[in-house]
Amino acid sequence: MVVKAVAAGAIGLALGVAASGSILADPPFGATTIGAWRVAAKAGSLEADPYTRAALARSGEIPLALGEGLKLVARVDSAGRPLDRRCLYRVGAHTPAARYWTLSLTDADGYPVENAAGRYGFRSSEILRDGDGGFSVYVSALAHAGNWLPVGHVQNFALALRLYDTPLAASAGGIEKSSLPTIDREGCA
Amino acid sequence: MTFTARLGGAALFVAAVVAAAALVHFVVVLLVPIVATHDAYARLAELAPPGATAPLPRAGPDERRFSWDDPALAGAFCRYNLSAGPLRVKASVGRAGFASLSFHTRRGAVFYALTDRAATHGRMEAVIVTPAQLRNLVAHDDEDDPSQDLRVVSPTVEGFVVMRAFSELPSLYGAAADEVKAMTCATEPPTP
Repeated sequence: MVVKAVAAGAIGLALGVAASGSILADPPFGATTIGAWRVAAKAGSLEADPYTRAALARSGEIPLALGEGLKLVARVDSAGRPLDRRCLYRVGAHTPAARYWTLSLTDADGYPVENAAGRYGFRSSEILRDGDGGFSVYVSALAHAGNWLPVGHVQNFALALRLYDTPLAASAGGIEKSSLPTIDREGCA
Repeated sequence: MTFTARLGGAALFVAAVVAAAALVHFVVVLLVPIVATHDAYARLAELAPPGATAPLPRAGPDERRFSWDDPALAGAFCRYNLSAGPLRVKASVGRAGFASLSFHTRRGAVFYALTDRAATHGRMEAVIVTPAQLRNLVAHDDEDDPSQDLRVVSPTVEGFVVMRAFSELPSLYGAAADEVKAMTCATEPPTP
């Protein structure tokens, strides 16, 4: 009986620690999913939930304040499939209202990925636009004409869309899915 | 031992494991922010002493200190400790492009932020205080000529301030970096 109780405690301890590690890598609460994008508007605030706070303490991220802007992260395409380095994605064509935005590519932990072009992202103030003011960013390992965002050599990557000085900040939950860029898989090698 | 009794024993064992795992998990989640030795504040402490303004390393593949930093933004920071007095933060903004100040607790959470839209005459300025320092300042305010300072109460005695500036083009990153480096963080003399 005692042996069984100790065994249950030991297994529980191991499971609890292991589960905490994996859950904190991508905290489940405090974030809203809108299409392919996830946004944790309160992540950097005093009201953040315990999971988000713990994840922040471990990652070393210096969060953006609501008044500064919003960070949205996509790890899947608009059809919900995980982003795959063997595929070509077209990201566009519009973003919600913001004074500036950037679209950048990172590894799974949020760091830019080495690539020969030295291109880690695009700014709204430098990107090439279509005739109607929209944009297309091509995300792929192989070079592509236009706004090419190279995947580099990582297996898992994420896309980060940052909206600086946006009126959306006050109501991140109310972002219209149709106002966000879509991530369309155009084909895979 | 009958089959039912064995099944009951096994179910009890599984329930005990699940309960122990859940308990451990909740304790870990609540303890991590308190015992974390490598949070943002600790990483900043490796770069500059308290009170000094220092640039944040530019985000890039070789810079793995601050995750999710935007390579288009230049940043600078200062750490503070209010035990010696309030902290006056001053920054000048004059470029085309977004700039902001954010005030963080010791644990990294933002308790106040302002952008260049709130700048007057090209300056962003604020005084970070403890609740006791705020009461003291208010008590000494001249009623006919009240202070124009923006006073912000910090929930923690220690913390850090970050200034960020957006570069509209890659070639303008240097100008943004120069702007944030000019931020000053100075401890105010304590009020009598």
